[in-house]
Amino acid sequence: MKIVVCIKQVPATGADKRYTDDLTLDRTGVEAIINPLDEYAIEQALRLADDGSADAITFLSMGPEQASEALRRALAMGGDDAILVTDAALAGADEWATAKVLAAALDKLAPDVALMGMASDDARGSLVPGAVAAMRDLPLLSYGSELKLADGTASVRRLSATGFDWLSAPLPVVATVTDQVGEPRYASLKGIMAAKRKPLDTWSLSDLGISAGDLHGAALTKVTDARAPEEKAPTERIENLSAAESATKIADWLAARKLI
Amino acid sequence: MSNDIVFLAEFNAGKPARSALELATGAAELASQSGGSAVALAYGSGAADGAAALGAHGAARAIVLGDEDRPAITYAAAAVAAARDGGLALLAPATPNGRDLAAVLVGKLELPAFGPVRAARVADGVLETEQATLQGSVITTSRPAEGAPAPSVVLVLANTFTPAEGGSGSAQVSQAPAAEESAFSKVIVAESHPADAKVVNLEEATIIVAGGRGVGGEDGFGPLRELASVLGGAVGASRAAADAGWIPYQLQIGQTGKVVKPALYIGAGISGAIQHRVGMQSAEQVVAINKDPDAPIGEFADLFVVGDLFQIIPALTAEIRRRKGSVG
Repeated sequence: MKIVVCIKQVPATGADKRYTDDLTLDRTGVEAIINPLDEYAIEQALRLADDGSADAITFLSMGPEQASEALRRALAMGGDDAILVTDAALAGADEWATAKVLAAALDKLAPDVALMGMASDDARGSLVPGAVAAMRDLPLLSYGSELKLADGTASVRRLSATGFDWLSAPLPVVATVTDQVGEPRYASLKGIMAAKRKPLDTWSLSDLGISAGDLHGAALTKVTDARAPEEKAPTERIENLSAAESATKIADWLAARKLI
Repeated sequence: MSNDIVFLAEFNAGKPARSALELATGAAELASQSGGSAVALAYGSGAADGAAALGAHGAARAIVLGDEDRPAITYAAAAVAAARDGGLALLAPATPNGRDLAAVLVGKLELPAFGPVRAARVADGVLETEQATLQGSVITTSRPAEGAPAPSVVLVLANTFTPAEGGSGSAQVSQAPAAEESAFSKVIVAESHPADAKVVNLEEATIIVAGGRGVGGEDGFGPLRELASVLGGAVGASRAAADAGWIPYQLQIGQTGKVVKPALYIGAGISGAIQHRVGMQSAEQVVAINKDPDAPIGEFADLFVVGDLFQIIPALTAEIRRRKGSVG
């Protein structure tokens, strides 16, 4: 049973982020991390390896060369090997192009489960997993708070309108998990040392049989403007008042905005 | 046809989700700019019977993808067959089901994807969207690249459009073209565990009173429920409160919970970490009540009240009741 966990390197959550003049993300001096929600996918895969449900874990990422750091960090948590797909023609890739490249890499790796986090910290469309599933014509099991593998079937526990369901499909599948799978493990010192010796291969687009021309300039979308959010009105504060006085002031504030 | 604005309309027991009404109105608005019609892709239990009523909210036509009670993803093949005919844009609700179907369309038909957007318009026949990215630190404007296939797939947050009410129009209903065999129809509900109690759909609430770690426990949500009730709103929570088991995960607001856009959000005992903030920063008015004068939520709230929520919230509930002239 082979699992490939797809991970994305993103700017650190609290980092100061801006766009360059050519409307792409300025990465200079910005700390890069594994997308925090992908760490839950890593943790889920490693738990399945721990309990014997999976016997091979590969990490896959698409990104600039420095994204190999994210893969090394994942290998320090566990798993067997990693692949970085990197190519100058992929700069500024949108969801469609990212899905196309990951789908081609996954075709080559042919896992039983391609596992991903539920969203990325920076873009938050959550479209790549479903697009990969569609391109590979595989079932999609999304937003699992747990993933189980048994008897040639994958199942995810997913919130329903009031409770939860178990959704199932025959392997192979594309699956995504949420932050409810359990806290990601820390890399031990031993893990960090071991990670240095684990295989990490780099593939280019030509290794995947994709030409830059197939990718429509890496995007079917185009950013035409990037700007800071509108300045909002300064926060009004109510403090050092009794509860009754505070309540009256809040009610006045709500009434002035026709909210009560 | 090529100027039409298509939208996903989910049904449950014959009733359209609020997102379907919002997107009907949004699609009609964009269609008036593009010179086309608003066309629903209706799916879910009772969709065939309920689809015509989307006309009252702006839909000119409705294509029924299927009307059984089964996982939304199993409608993917029919959605692909129906969306193949183009249209300028396809609006999908930024919910788990909406995103799954939108993603399949992007992958299968190789379409440009946008959003979640906070605004969309059609100018000179070209779709333009506006979205907050990088955790709200940058606002970008986007368009389809030259020569990109149509329709553009656009994820739309709840409450971006206000449903038009009272129209008497009826959408012209047709069945989706036959779909190819698809892997997505292999997804089944193996087990279902509904809760006994009804849980509100937070994305549909226009007023939300949310509690966090500072609420202290399950019982601490009592005063929040009373305030929500007098305001005609719903109760939500931060991840800390849901993780602690004080409230169901269906009511969690944030990056990994619901992304909401109410007219009024009141946060009590919520510090305002970035993961929560991305779930509610689009609220029109944000009121925060926290005893910590330095809580991060105080930096982006419209009104920040420093004090004890257990004293202030009951006092506020009583004050609003008094002003509304009701007893109690």
